[in-house]
Amino acid sequence: MRSRNGNRPFVFSSLALISTLIHAADNYYIGYRLTTKNAQPIEEQFTVSKAMQPCTEYGNFILTLPRLSGATLETVLNLERSTFIEYAAEHELRLKSNETITSSNVQSLQTLTLPTRCYAVEFNDHSVTISLSK
Amino acid sequence: MRLSAALALLLSVSALQAGIFSTDESSDQKVKCVYSGTDGNCVEPILKAENELVITVTGQGVAPSVTASPAQAYALAKRAAMVDGYRLIAERVKGVQVEGQDTIKNMMLQQSSTKTSVEAIVRGANIMNTTFKEGLCEVEMEIALSYSRVLH
Repeated sequence: MRSRNGNRPFVFSSLALISTLIHAADNYYIGYRLTTKNAQPIEEQFTVSKAMQPCTEYGNFILTLPRLSGATLETVLNLERSTFIEYAAEHELRLKSNETITSSNVQSLQTLTLPTRCYAVEFNDHSVTISLSK
Repeated sequence: MRLSAALALLLSVSALQAGIFSTDESSDQKVKCVYSGTDGNCVEPILKAENELVITVTGQGVAPSVTASPAQAYALAKRAAMVDGYRLIAERVKGVQVEGQDTIKNMMLQQSSTKTSVEAIVRGANIMNTTFKEGLCEVEMEIALSYSRVLH
């Protein structure tokens, strides 16, 4: 018959495994593109995809976003889009701008792209912590 | 004769003093002015190893005419203003490619068009201030250029 003390390591290791599975950061590839025409946004696209291979080396900049229970990363990013864009744009973004000026017309077309990069995403009960890989 | 010589001497001394004072004022400036605009103001400061150059721009954006709510209009206008701000930063730092085309037929101008374009990767720009008034969103953005940022 197994003693109570003998069960402790098994219980502790099980708890550690569960907490690791719950709290371990998942890796996601996130990209963003915004097109504006004549200073008005005409197309906006977020791409979120779970990474098939783990990303390594994360930077020190961490973003924490509020999260409703059970909300997916896409939902959180859609709700807190501006905050995430400002966070990600601080690291790197690409910009392409074209303006055509004729005697009767001025047209501008600008495309802002956040390059698709790997992020470590940690889901908590009421928040999501996002960290950009180097 | 003597009076005119004395007057010339006085004028030359005052001009020399003015020159000395003007060099003192320019040496007090943190950033050396390389090119002056038509109004006499400095238009393109130089980046030195010992200091950093801060560029401030104001981007403007307008919300689409059809939006679900005022909040969405604000968010979209701000995003458009951000893009405009980034374009201005890219234009200031990297420069603009300008392409002009004129079509002339029978010695008369038929069509004239100018195209400008810029393509850049921007790192480290910050939004300093945002204002939204009568559908127009203005975003004040700032980027600090330094040797350490350029090299990394």
